[in-house]
Amino acid sequence: MKRFIGTFISIIFIFSSSSFADDTKSIAVMQNWYKLILQLVRHTATYSPPVASRSFAYLGVTVYESVASGSSKMQTLSGQLHGLNNLPKRQLGQQYDDAVALNAAIIFAAHHYFGNTGPTGQRAMLAMQKQISAQVEANTSLEVINRSKDFGQATAEAIYKWSLSDGGAKITNLGFPDKYTLTAGPAHWAPTSTIRLQQTPLLPNWGKNRPFAMTAGTTCALPPPPEYSEDKNSEFYKQAMEVYTTSKGLTPEQKAIARFWSDDPMLSYTPPGHWISIIWQVAEHEHLSAEKIVESLARVSIAEADAFIGCWSVKFQYDLVRPFNYIRKVIDPKWTALLITPPFPEYPSGHSTNSGAAAYVLSSMFGENYAFEDTTPQADGLAPRKFSSFDAAAKEAAQSRLYGGIHFRAAIERGLEQGHCIGKFAVNLHTSR
Amino acid sequence: MKTFLKISAALCLIGSQPSYADQNTLIVPKFAEETKSSGLHSIYAGEWQYMVGGGVATFDCSGDGFPDMLLAGGEKPAHFYVNTSKQGGSLHFIQQKSGLELDHVTGAYPLDIDSDGIMDVVLLRVGENIVMRGKGNCKFERANEVWNFVGGDAWSVGFAATFEHGAEWPTLAVGNYIDRKQEALPWGSCTDNWLHRPDGAANKFGAPIALKPSFCSLSMMFTDWNKSGTPSLRISNDREYYQGGQEQLWHVEAGKEPSLYTDKDGWKFVRIWGMGIASYDLNFDGYPEYFLSSMADSRLQSLTKIEAGVPPKPDFTEGAFLKGVTAHRPYAGTDERPSTGWHTQFEDVNNDGMVDLFIAKGNVDRMPDFAQRDPNNLLLQGVDGKFIEVGDKAGIASFATGRGAAVVDFNLDGKLDLVVVNRRENAKVWRNISKDLGRWLEVKLEQPAPNVDAIGAWIEIKQGNKIVRREMTLGGGHASGSIGWRHFGLGASAETELRVIWPDGKVGEWQKLAADQFYILKRDKAAVAWKPN
Repeated sequence: MKRFIGTFISIIFIFSSSSFADDTKSIAVMQNWYKLILQLVRHTATYSPPVASRSFAYLGVTVYESVASGSSKMQTLSGQLHGLNNLPKRQLGQQYDDAVALNAAIIFAAHHYFGNTGPTGQRAMLAMQKQISAQVEANTSLEVINRSKDFGQATAEAIYKWSLSDGGAKITNLGFPDKYTLTAGPAHWAPTSTIRLQQTPLLPNWGKNRPFAMTAGTTCALPPPPEYSEDKNSEFYKQAMEVYTTSKGLTPEQKAIARFWSDDPMLSYTPPGHWISIIWQVAEHEHLSAEKIVESLARVSIAEADAFIGCWSVKFQYDLVRPFNYIRKVIDPKWTALLITPPFPEYPSGHSTNSGAAAYVLSSMFGENYAFEDTTPQADGLAPRKFSSFDAAAKEAAQSRLYGGIHFRAAIERGLEQGHCIGKFAVNLHTSR
Repeated sequence: MKTFLKISAALCLIGSQPSYADQNTLIVPKFAEETKSSGLHSIYAGEWQYMVGGGVATFDCSGDGFPDMLLAGGEKPAHFYVNTSKQGGSLHFIQQKSGLELDHVTGAYPLDIDSDGIMDVVLLRVGENIVMRGKGNCKFERANEVWNFVGGDAWSVGFAATFEHGAEWPTLAVGNYIDRKQEALPWGSCTDNWLHRPDGAANKFGAPIALKPSFCSLSMMFTDWNKSGTPSLRISNDREYYQGGQEQLWHVEAGKEPSLYTDKDGWKFVRIWGMGIASYDLNFDGYPEYFLSSMADSRLQSLTKIEAGVPPKPDFTEGAFLKGVTAHRPYAGTDERPSTGWHTQFEDVNNDGMVDLFIAKGNVDRMPDFAQRDPNNLLLQGVDGKFIEVGDKAGIASFATGRGAAVVDFNLDGKLDLVVVNRRENAKVWRNISKDLGRWLEVKLEQPAPNVDAIGAWIEIKQGNKIVRREMTLGGGHASGSIGWRHFGLGASAETELRVIWPDGKVGEWQKLAADQFYILKRDKAAVAWKPN
């Protein structure tokens, strides 16, 4: 499979011929915007994994509705996602340019869901907007351009208005509350770094947000983690010792796995962005149509956003201590983990829930034994990895958190299970008429 | 009239050092802004390509001992000012044509490149960097061609200089930022930093060496972090733009190719929005601590393990939180979003014998995640080694968009003043008008050519049973550098003992010096007192 990055050869190259079909134009519009947006996520402090998942989901719904509105085969998600109703419709008998409408919708969405970026990101968005608009609008009548742009923007605007009431629209202080009372006792989360901003946990109320397809944040509840104990015969101690001993004997392969799926905010596309990147690699490999691409983007990103809501709901229900603090207190006061311990409670693993949900959706769309190669973190010097299935990739992503020293086994296994539970809601959405 | 404020030092435990700060108070210096009355008017102008940079260089080129200054103008010409202040008086500057008034300047560092006793200036630019030869009387001329300096074409902001062992000519490190031609997708486009070494024994530069990999450097410093006698090149990089990057430390040894310290050497992976570097031996262990300004939390690094007779590894422990210098969000005003730090400098602004920390602050440019009204920090160090913010109480809590700066004694009264370059706004200058600070000492090093200003020397001052060690670096901060008087607060001490470890390792004699004096410290000679005018 070609590298995802390679799909964005050059917008100018893609549009240099005037004979491309609308579908190709639409795909190119999305490819280029998604490439930029993944960079914006990587380089903007707001986009911690939960926040990124939400933004990707609204963008996914936006591109889906923009394309679906012009398709005789696709069904709108309006009425299927919580609170989404009455989206604009195309005027019967009027001509639209799908790529122009899609571009207008993405421009609006990019600025509203990914607009927290700095001057470089703002400049890049304007440059992308200028370049793509010039390409897609070439050889199209002004009347059609204006009608298409108006419709695309109206669609995006309606979705944006819907987004404002979900509880996750406003992020302050990068998601870290000014005040937060830690739960007393060694069983519970406490700061794991000396970063002043991270002395409170990230987004403690994220689990209360309105989900997209899942019934409620608490729908895919999980059993409690093993009971906290410092007794060497306890399950909790054994799972901590597993993290500790694994960390002490990590093989090069295990280190590579941990780093491949590390997906740290501000240093990567984040876990939800990693799976968006995988979608684009599959899209290129399979030469997917625009319709199939937007269906994939919408279903997966909805599942991922719901996964973070469900996961956060459970995280703050049990508020479990991280291996970093437990192992230092009970086993080895000088122990350090391979990866940076994220600043929020341990159980379940966010990456596991997220990856479980994404893989569940992709398996339903492309098959349970779909083999692929993932090149997502290649620009950071990490070698591509091959997987026999999406599920295998999700399991490796989950396991990577144990290798990285940031999760116990229970969080990994229950996280994957929760992801599957949440993914079903995205799979059950009706996208065909 | 009470001319200074005192902070109750419940937080400042009394330590063993007999410094001024031993008293149960931290003396808060008082600054008065004198921008308008001083005649200073300089704006760091420009859009995207000037979101970083905005430096100021201070140095004496008029020969009166008072520091003159050059301020970067961004897309507009730089501004040069001669300092016409009187000792202890209000600040006065007169803009003067110097030859340094080039456009696209992001930063500036003084350095006597040809060791002729006349200060030269390195101009960092968006485009070609230029070395300007001092002709005397604050006149300068381009010297790229005569010194064979390849200015290149980049977006340069970081700078550091050293004289490698045996070299007659300096080695310059230039830190470069993003490939500015990458408009739509600039991330991951960090351009190479350059090392300009001497061309053999000739008094000119050789071809620049690309320091690969480079990760969008915004600050660099040659520093002898392990007391090996050979400074290494420390580079702070902006994680906003690199891929696979981190902070860096380079071996730069005479006659050898530069090479990176790696995890095999003990170097630890740190990734921050690196904006500025300041160094000082804060804990009296003989090794410098490094403060790294950043967005949100800043960092303060100390060597993790120091053992007698064992060369330390470049493994640093983070201490900003414990020391109270995270400076992660505004301490004044109503904007509580995370902060953005730039120029940073350790100096003793209240002369209590404990070095303090200044950080210039300002949003990159309408970054919604970060504070728009972000006051500069002035963090006073107590005897317990912890810092307390007093920027607002001291009167320097400007909400302008700060970048480069210099904490320097403009009116030679022994009290450090402050100039800050601001983006899209006039620079601001403050005079330290405190009346009852501790005692002080200011010294200037001189040695025969090369390296007449003794870049890379260490000054040691006895403070009770401790020794304060200060490395004479040129680099770090944010696009800003100073050469001239080096200031030390002495607390209540009427005299102190001082010695110099010269750049070649020669250890000077301890000399007793009276407080509240300026001294010229010439190599192999007794200190000579100096008075302004």
